[in-house]
Amino acid sequence: MNGAIGGDLLLNCTDMSVLERQRAHLKYFNPSFDSPLAGFFADSSMINGGEMDGYLATAGLNLPMIYGETTVEGDPRMSISPETTLGTGNFKKRKFDTETKDRNEKKKKMNREEVTEEEEEKSKITELNNGSPKSIKKMKNKAKKEENNCSNDSSKVTKELEKTDYIHVRARRGQATDSHSIAERVRREKISERMKFLQDLVPGCDKITGKAGMLDEIINYVQSLQRQIEFLSMKLAVVNPRPDFDMDDIFDKEVIVSTPMTVVPSPEMVHSGYSHEMVNSGYSNEMVNSGYHHVNPMQQAETSSDPLSCFNNGQAPSMWDSYVQNLYGSLGV
Amino acid sequence: MERQIINKRKRVFSLQPNKNPKALFARRYVSHLVPALKKINMKKSSSKTNHPSFEKTVKHEVDMAFALSAQEFAWSRFLLQKLLSSVHDDPVRTSSSPSEILERSSKKQGGGKHQDRDEEEGGEIKKRLKELQKLLPGGEEMNMEEILSEIGSYIVCLELQMIVLKSIVQDNIS
Repeated sequence: MNGAIGGDLLLNCTDMSVLERQRAHLKYFNPSFDSPLAGFFADSSMINGGEMDGYLATAGLNLPMIYGETTVEGDPRMSISPETTLGTGNFKKRKFDTETKDRNEKKKKMNREEVTEEEEEKSKITELNNGSPKSIKKMKNKAKKEENNCSNDSSKVTKELEKTDYIHVRARRGQATDSHSIAERVRREKISERMKFLQDLVPGCDKITGKAGMLDEIINYVQSLQRQIEFLSMKLAVVNPRPDFDMDDIFDKEVIVSTPMTVVPSPEMVHSGYSHEMVNSGYSNEMVNSGYHHVNPMQQAETSSDPLSCFNNGQAPSMWDSYVQNLYGSLGV
Repeated sequence: MERQIINKRKRVFSLQPNKNPKALFARRYVSHLVPALKKINMKKSSSKTNHPSFEKTVKHEVDMAFALSAQEFAWSRFLLQKLLSSVHDDPVRTSSSPSEILERSSKKQGGGKHQDRDEEEGGEIKKRLKELQKLLPGGEEMNMEEILSEIGSYIVCLELQMIVLKSIVQDNIS
């Protein structure tokens, strides 16, 4: 199968999960089909009596024209945007919908299955704002589950799909299939993912379950931060900056390696009574008076998903640490 | 004095200062705030100002620096608008007008079967979301999802701002 060979050779630029899926499909329909490198298959109809012609293998693979397969040239079914964007996660669901609806009438059954699988995968990706590798892996796992389901229920599904001409998002087993509930579900998943991210951000929220409690914690935390900042700005107004106050001084401190600092008493701070683990004693000691111990923001940001993706650039923590210690070393003196 | 000399010798540079967004924020913040403070200080020394308005000016500058250093986020744009429009007034707190968008979006929640439980829970959550909207600059115009995403960045920037302010204050005390 040319397409399959091409797929294998283009391993570097395609999504692994799609490739694996396709191989599984091919194997399912043609048990004797072993290695994709076995050689060129001149006649695409050899596989499964023509039902699984080149479309399946090329479905979703951006194959070059080298192989000269008509499948790629004639009907640009799935070959273009979906797969290339699958890995990046910058995919827009709407674009895909219009593209596929155009090609819809010409598609064959198995191809539709591929489309629905991929579309669901992609819709999940978009909706869940797949910016981090963690969620990409989640998507792949879901896709694999779908694949297994697909190979089991293929006959059922194909019959369903024949009835209408639209692309359906594949609903998972045991769940409602109408578009509203799927959209609802996607939205709910988005929201819960954001809540999880916030849970990591706000100290002391690991044990709280439920949206209401979490929101409470978040509100309290934000209020306390705002109050502290107000207090600090008042303090700043009181403390006159020295005439020779130099910006460089802030950046110019000795690097202090985690020394415990004395707590600065501050009667105006609200002691909110939160108890947390100290991770970086470099600044957690400062925060003691406010009742919050701050986990190193860098570590938190690295595990975050989309909302703070701009803060998540994979820099080595050591650089941040040295910078921060540089910046706030005076606090330890 | 000596300490300053010693400190200058041990300066540590970060290799890619503009790539780490948190460092970038902190740096921008400092670069906005410090000159503003110096200006205020000069004005103060030249003319006698009473404390309340001076504090307000400082607070205003602090907020301005905050909003200017985080232009990537929606809340910072809202905050900037607010600050620019209220330059001569008292510092503005987020208004507490109810949000219709929020109510609409929460009404859509909840399937048919679990409506009762969801309604109660939805009510609780609605209340809290309203609170959150008040806290976040520009929160009134956002629906639930947007609030949740913006709040994350807001919290991190607040934390960074606090660190910088503490360091400045500490610097001036010692």
